[in-house]
Amino acid sequence: MGREQDPGPQSGATRTESPYLTPAEREELITSNLGLAHQLARRFLHRGEPLDDLVQVASMALVKSVDRFDPSRGVDFAAFATRTIIGELKRHFRDKGWAVRASRRVQELYLELGHATAALVQQLGRNPTVAELAEATGASEEAVIEAIEAGQGYRAASIDASESEDDPLSARLGEYDRNYASVEDRALLGPALATLPAREQSILRMRFVDGLTQSEIAVAVGVSQMHVSRLLSSSLQKLRDGIEQAGSERS
Amino acid sequence: MTDPTDTLVNGDRIELRFPARGDLIVLARLVTSAISARAGFDIEELEDLRLAVGELCLLALHGSDALHGDLCLELTVLGDAIVVVCTLERAAAADVTGPEGDEIALLSEQILDALVDEHGRESRDGSVRAWLRKRRGGHAE
Repeated sequence: MGREQDPGPQSGATRTESPYLTPAEREELITSNLGLAHQLARRFLHRGEPLDDLVQVASMALVKSVDRFDPSRGVDFAAFATRTIIGELKRHFRDKGWAVRASRRVQELYLELGHATAALVQQLGRNPTVAELAEATGASEEAVIEAIEAGQGYRAASIDASESEDDPLSARLGEYDRNYASVEDRALLGPALATLPAREQSILRMRFVDGLTQSEIAVAVGVSQMHVSRLLSSSLQKLRDGIEQAGSERS
Repeated sequence: MTDPTDTLVNGDRIELRFPARGDLIVLARLVTSAISARAGFDIEELEDLRLAVGELCLLALHGSDALHGDLCLELTVLGDAIVVVCTLERAAAADVTGPEGDEIALLSEQILDALVDEHGRESRDGSVRAWLRKRRGGHAE
């Protein structure tokens, strides 16, 4: 195979054929590399596109590479085609606004995981595993882990969303939590928490672990809601001081 | 505003070690995502790197007795690039000449050609080492 020839007139309005290969050589090259196109398409799975669509994009890119391939240049066809097919697959996602969609998809999955987790907790009587969440949402385990990781950021963005009219999440978190968002800070939180009086530890736990409102805590502890508010403020201030002290000692 | 403690800068190096099993390559991809994002790679470059690191791990595993040893992934931020080195230490005697294995390795190398700026692989003293380098803003295709 491989000789120069004039491109000549195209046989169809949209069909592009190789100026370098005979029709038989062209067909042979396409047929023998369909497996390559399929394998490359599979590398792009789990990004929200069905395999069939990806295989189609890859196969068309394969045809394009065959039609552009000039054997006289001494380039290995499979290497040349791989580059073209991956380029086309990437372009496919880019043209579909994939960068935006990917972010939205992760956000959506993160939200979906919240619902699935609640349902599975009810159903199983324990927290679900990643594998169970993956099965429940139809996502891969990797996607679930990725969404959970990404969800740490989205959670911060959704603080202003109200969970209910009388208890918006922003009110629950307040300004105090902002500085304790990182894993590193939370690692310091344990020792600092242990230095607080038992009642303050208990109130903090009810508020931030059990998710009780200030009014509910007030009823549970037998004090006024205003008093709970003041206790929370002072406890959080003590925690902050303790963490800052531990942080400075660490550095 | 970007939190300065959430970024990786020149010279920062992260190491991940895990049992040399294909089903754990997901760990390498996840860590690569997190590191690439913190090193300022855009989402497309990040996806390229994820894909490339998967192939890198396959290359390191290729031809080895994958039931033994650890895969060590080392990611270093060097200027506007990330260098990833995947090492399979003390790999058992390997049949690297099998046609099927060669085909797998060849495909991985072709994919790496399309995704990163540079890559390579060498075997020495029973260890297999595969590496890649990708720059930000390079959009290899």
